[in-house]
Amino acid sequence: MSQAAERPYGDAGTTPAVPGPEDARAQQAGSGAGSGPPGMEKVLTRETTSSRAAAAVIAAVLVIGLCGYALLETAVRAVGQPPWLLDPQTAAERATALPAGVPPLLLGVTGAVLFAAGLFFFLNAVLPGRRARHVLADPRAGVVVDDEVIASALARRARLAANVTQEQVMVVVSRRQVLVNVRPTSGVPLRAADVQAAVQAELREMALSPMPEVRVNLASSGVIGA
Amino acid sequence: MNGTPRLLNRLLIGILGVKLLVIGGLLVLLATVPAVGRWWQGWSAGLWDGVRGLFDRTRFPGQTMSWLWIVMVVLLLLVIALMVAWLAQQGKGRANLLVAEDDAGEVPGYVRIGGGVAEQALRAALADRPDLAGATVATYEFRGEPALRIRVQPRQGVAPHTLAAEVSALVEALDAVVGKRTPVLIHIGSGARSRFGRAERVR
Repeated sequence: MSQAAERPYGDAGTTPAVPGPEDARAQQAGSGAGSGPPGMEKVLTRETTSSRAAAAVIAAVLVIGLCGYALLETAVRAVGQPPWLLDPQTAAERATALPAGVPPLLLGVTGAVLFAAGLFFFLNAVLPGRRARHVLADPRAGVVVDDEVIASALARRARLAANVTQEQVMVVVSRRQVLVNVRPTSGVPLRAADVQAAVQAELREMALSPMPEVRVNLASSGVIGA
Repeated sequence: MNGTPRLLNRLLIGILGVKLLVIGGLLVLLATVPAVGRWWQGWSAGLWDGVRGLFDRTRFPGQTMSWLWIVMVVLLLLVIALMVAWLAQQGKGRANLLVAEDDAGEVPGYVRIGGGVAEQALRAALADRPDLAGATVATYEFRGEPALRIRVQPRQGVAPHTLAAEVSALVEALDAVVGKRTPVLIHIGSGARSRFGRAERVR
């Protein structure tokens, strides 16, 4: 929502689908059907989920850095030179004596930071990581559409149906729901059912999978002079 | 569409995550609970004694240094090489050829059609459309055969299904030209150009 409010036009927005663990696998399997020739399902599931490449790059760089430092100290030790920062043997001895020798606050904060980093990587590995995209039915090619594009198309349709300006409509598309917020012009009556019907017709034409539900919100206060 | 090893990514990230979680949790417990500190000192001292014994037993004959240090250097180098290999796997999978086949005609030889043919034909066909803020086409290798990835960025308010149908018609025209149905993925996305560019008002 906040994401959409920052936009200059304010009529398009997406919210990334919040993953529900129980239906994750079933939905991924189901979302591939209906677009493109057979064999495309694999591509479509890959396109609608995150590849975790960013986290993988961070992890690899982290491990390379750590191993590089350890390599330096070990190699220095192996050829019998004085250590650069910390001799591996001294490091191990300090680690065994741990609560002693380090201020508890520093130790606790370091632990908390490491814990948070671990949580980041762990959740990246475990969560389904669905992207804010829908699959569109097409006989020839596999088609994926960003939710933002769907939202702006629906906002245009809702704007025409409600006969208001672009700034008075905001649409949020999530995986299973489309939320249409309309602020009517003051003094001009507006029926939510009309907007709902128009948006639903557009959605039916799109034939998304999974098909989201439409909810229309009319603001109680109108806009003056729009 | 690209060849990023997703399962491997998740596996390795998960392993690193669990390790960091355990180390971080242990450090927090060491800082806060004294009983954990006592247990840790006893347990790790035993472990460290074992390791030191191992180092003593693996000395070079007649010298004070253990050859385990050299083994460690080799192992660390191996880990770094594996990490670099893992990095190189991310986002790979671009291909150059769209078709590479024996055409079974009278002239001996192979027919090869570069991916640039499809890429440039489609890009040129999509370039002049007023409802698009940008389009890119790339050839990828998917399961050993070439596939096309078409990414279009429509302006605000463009209906995605009509756009998809029109791009799909272009792809079918390309099929007729090339003589082979390549798998195609159409990604209708949004970027900075479609977000901040002017909206399409007339169609």
